[in-house]
Amino acid sequence: MHQEKLFQQIVFILILSSILGLGANFPLVEKYFQGEFQHGFLSLEEYPSITFITLLEAQELFLKGEALFIDSRNEEAFKTGHILKAKNIPFVKYKEKGFMKLLSHPLEETLVVYCDGSECQTSEELAKLLHKKGFEDIRIFFGGWTEWMKKRLPVSKESDTQ
Amino acid sequence: MVGGVFIWAGLLKIFDPLGFAQGIANYKAFPLGMSFFPALLLPWIEVICGFFLIFGIFLKASAILLSGFLTVFLVLIVVTILRGLDIDCGCFGSLSGKADYKLLLVDSVLLFFSLMIVFSEEKAMILKLR
Repeated sequence: MHQEKLFQQIVFILILSSILGLGANFPLVEKYFQGEFQHGFLSLEEYPSITFITLLEAQELFLKGEALFIDSRNEEAFKTGHILKAKNIPFVKYKEKGFMKLLSHPLEETLVVYCDGSECQTSEELAKLLHKKGFEDIRIFFGGWTEWMKKRLPVSKESDTQ
Repeated sequence: MVGGVFIWAGLLKIFDPLGFAQGIANYKAFPLGMSFFPALLLPWIEVICGFFLIFGIFLKASAILLSGFLTVFLVLIVVTILRGLDIDCGCFGSLSGKADYKLLLVDSVLLFFSLMIVFSEEKAMILKLR
């Protein structure tokens, strides 16, 4: 087969896919250009109570004592060290058990959910579940434990597992 | 077989583009914003190429594209394993498994079959498929 013809076919497939992909997701593309999805890919429409925050924002909330910090890592990781006064809700464990009686805190309380660095997905998954339970202000601190430790901010090693 | 796998994988991701975008972002191989558009387009390319492979349309072009993607996936998985990241591959939407040695094997087998199509005579492949 002529290479030119092959190239044309590849271009045709790519153009067709682009038209379908962008067309089918046009509302998402609009949101992207309006500045959404800069820190993560949660839809604000679907999860209006969830926002992503930076280390500085997390630090400010911590110093003002305005938020409850929730650590979504497993119990072992939590016991070896966590953000001071953070509550441990190990996502994997509670996912299996169900999230009944997850938190007895008021729904309007600000929650900062974190896990271990940006490779970790449990903070986002936990945030989604907390949103479903009705919490109104959930912040995902994507830098998590790794960033907090690097900045030498207050930590604790005592266990506070539910 | 290759076509079927890609149609299935693509369809799962078409229905959850943001989930797939996050899946790509979790590899930490590209800036976060760069995960968005591949997440919208890749699943459609997979589905279209999958259908083309099954129906014998643009066989080589489809197989070349899929082989290219599989090669990129393989490199990403190897890098992920070497970096010690414990993440889902994101390749089958919400049904994704870990980006580990098992996935490396699956993708290698798919790449082998895909390259077989690339380097085979087109007419013979269509006859075989039919």
